Amino acid sequence: MTSKPPCVQVRNLYKSFTRGSERIDVLQNLTLEVPEGEFLALMGPSGSGKTTLLNLIAGLDQPTEGSIIVGDQEISQMSESELARWRTRHVGFVFQFYYLLPVLTAYENVELPLLLLPMTKEQRRKQVLTALDLVGLSNRLSHRPGQLSGGQQQRVGIARAIVTDPTLIVADEPTGDLDSKSADEILKLLETLRAQLNKTIIMVTHDPKAAERAQRVLHLEKGRLVLDTDNRLAAVSSSWS
Amino acid sequence: MFLIDLSILFGISISTLTILCIVLGIVLMPPFYLILLALEKTLLVAQWAGFSVIRFILLVFRSLQRNLLRTALSYMAIYVLVSVVVMIWSVLSFLDGITTEKQEDFKVLITEKFQIPSQMPPSYEQRLLSIIDELPPEYRMKNGEMDVMTWAFVGGTLDPTKQTFENSIFFFCMQPKKFPTMMSGLEEFTPEEMAELNRLIDLMEKDKKKVVIGTGRLEKLQKKVGDRFKMVSLNYKDLEFEFEIVGTFPKGSRYDESAVMHRDYLYDTLRDYEKRTGMPHPMANKCLNLIWVRLPSKEAYSALAAKANESGSFSTPAVKVETESSGVGSFLDAYRDLINGMRYMVVPAILATMALVIANAISITVRERRTEMAVLKVLGFTPGMIMMLVLGEALLIGVLAGGMASSVMCVLTQAQGGVKFPIAFFPAFKVPYEAISWGIAIGAATALAGSLLPALSARRVKVSEVFSRVA
Repeated sequence: MTSKPPCVQVRNLYKSFTRGSERIDVLQNLTLEVPEGEFLALMGPSGSGKTTLLNLIAGLDQPTEGSIIVGDQEISQMSESELARWRTRHVGFVFQFYYLLPVLTAYENVELPLLLLPMTKEQRRKQVLTALDLVGLSNRLSHRPGQLSGGQQQRVGIARAIVTDPTLIVADEPTGDLDSKSADEILKLLETLRAQLNKTIIMVTHDPKAAERAQRVLHLEKGRLVLDTDNRLAAVSSSWS
Repeated sequence: MFLIDLSILFGISISTLTILCIVLGIVLMPPFYLILLALEKTLLVAQWAGFSVIRFILLVFRSLQRNLLRTALSYMAIYVLVSVVVMIWSVLSFLDGITTEKQEDFKVLITEKFQIPSQMPPSYEQRLLSIIDELPPEYRMKNGEMDVMTWAFVGGTLDPTKQTFENSIFFFCMQPKKFPTMMSGLEEFTPEEMAELNRLIDLMEKDKKKVVIGTGRLEKLQKKVGDRFKMVSLNYKDLEFEFEIVGTFPKGSRYDESAVMHRDYLYDTLRDYEKRTGMPHPMANKCLNLIWVRLPSKEAYSALAAKANESGSFSTPAVKVETESSGVGSFLDAYRDLINGMRYMVVPAILATMALVIANAISITVRERRTEMAVLKVLGFTPGMIMMLVLGEALLIGVLAGGMASSVMCVLTQAQGGVKFPIAFFPAFKVPYEAISWGIAIGAATALAGSLLPALSARRVKVSEVFSRVA
């Protein structure tokens, strides 16, 4: 089951912050691997370090110590500008509060990351339409975020995350601001992305129901990995019992 | 007495100008938005050419639409301040222009050394001509006595019992036949206007009581061509003049508020006074206020100045010989501090205010949009790109508002034929066409200066900090 090559490799990861004279160790000696095409959920109480881990894997922050390899690239040594360029091609980010640009239409929001890549207008258009079609919003191209429901905005957010065809999709509480129906649709969409497009997805969630949709769940507490549950094995064992 | 205090003039002008600019700025706000919208639509069309950079610029345009009130206030601040700066710079460059020496065709001014206005004896004219005759031929006037003109200033009122600005008049008292060759600004006259002027001068030469008055002044006096009137002089006590208006200076010309009379009429009236009273008029030997001489070169001027100083003919009162530009410069000397204050204090203060206003507006924008900046960084925008987006917003408002302000100022003053200085021999002042580029440059530079710190702050937005705060 884990014979696939790892998409993400985290080795002996430490992350600490200083607040005044106080040093806060958010992540301590964390090691993990996420195989390509896996849907992984990160769970844990507030302050356990799951969002920090997600940010580090997505190249939004630098570790204090340790290494992070995504695909075949060591990202923990990259500069801020190198990370920015790397993120454009390799990471799609889904936010809890969508964070679409209110002055742009759905089409323009999804197109935004593509502006950073050397593509023609036609190539961009094709990819934007494909992404919006995948999330079921090809009829909302010229709507601005204010004209869309929460679930629709999150789907635009997902389209924006996948439009560059990234290696990795990271999602921070993607269903946290949605009603249960919309949340279910979003989770289904993420599952589809994994199943049909073989995307590696890492999702932070507080919601156990959302975590159940992932193939594997990692529990963090005080910056350490305390539990690694494989939902696929659990499903098999429950079917046996 | 007739020279309006420049400092008061500048003070009033700047206050009036600021109010005018605020009104203009408000009136032009809809066009400002229309231009923004038109540019955005143009970019929308252009983007289909496929250039990603157009999309970035479009993002800058869209960002300005987030808070229309803030954009409007930033625009207003830049508009008003650029208008004021452009006007001040235009006035200063205008003054620089008229105090800059010409290399040939020198107009030389002879005035009293220690008193303004000068009160020299009429005999000084002949003494000067004698001195000039002693100069080498190449230093003498090309057109002989036609290149020498004397000035006297005669002011008076039509109603001495109730003197008002409207019923007062100020005459340049000169030899009319020299008016076309010696006076400045006649190049603005059309051939028809010049022909009419020559006709009027012929009339004045034939009858000393005939006068020409500017259209604006004539309207204020409520008189018309052909009217006769009496004027009681204010600076020549107990003298009364009787004039006949034979024509006007063209409306809108720099002589619109001026009036010209024959100098011989003044001399005759002074002689009549002596006959009547048995003693000369107190001003009889002080009625030469200024002499102009046109010389062929700077060397000629230097030679004349040296001769005048050596001769001893001009000792009571002493005179100074200077070029027209340095004469104007000397006149402006009294206002040197004011002009320097404008140049080195008011203008920098306005520019600093502009930069601060922009800095304030852009800082608020950046603070409000920290999350958005962080999202853009997550999507792959580099810190430099984020900085360019912020600078671009400021630059767009700065260039547009600055360009509009200077263009409107320029077009208005040009269309009006210039703003007249209430000092007779100063030409009408116009905001030059190159001021449009100054306005754009000032708007752009101050916008960039003001938005630099907020842009750097946007550049440094740390994604993880922004999102941890949101969570």
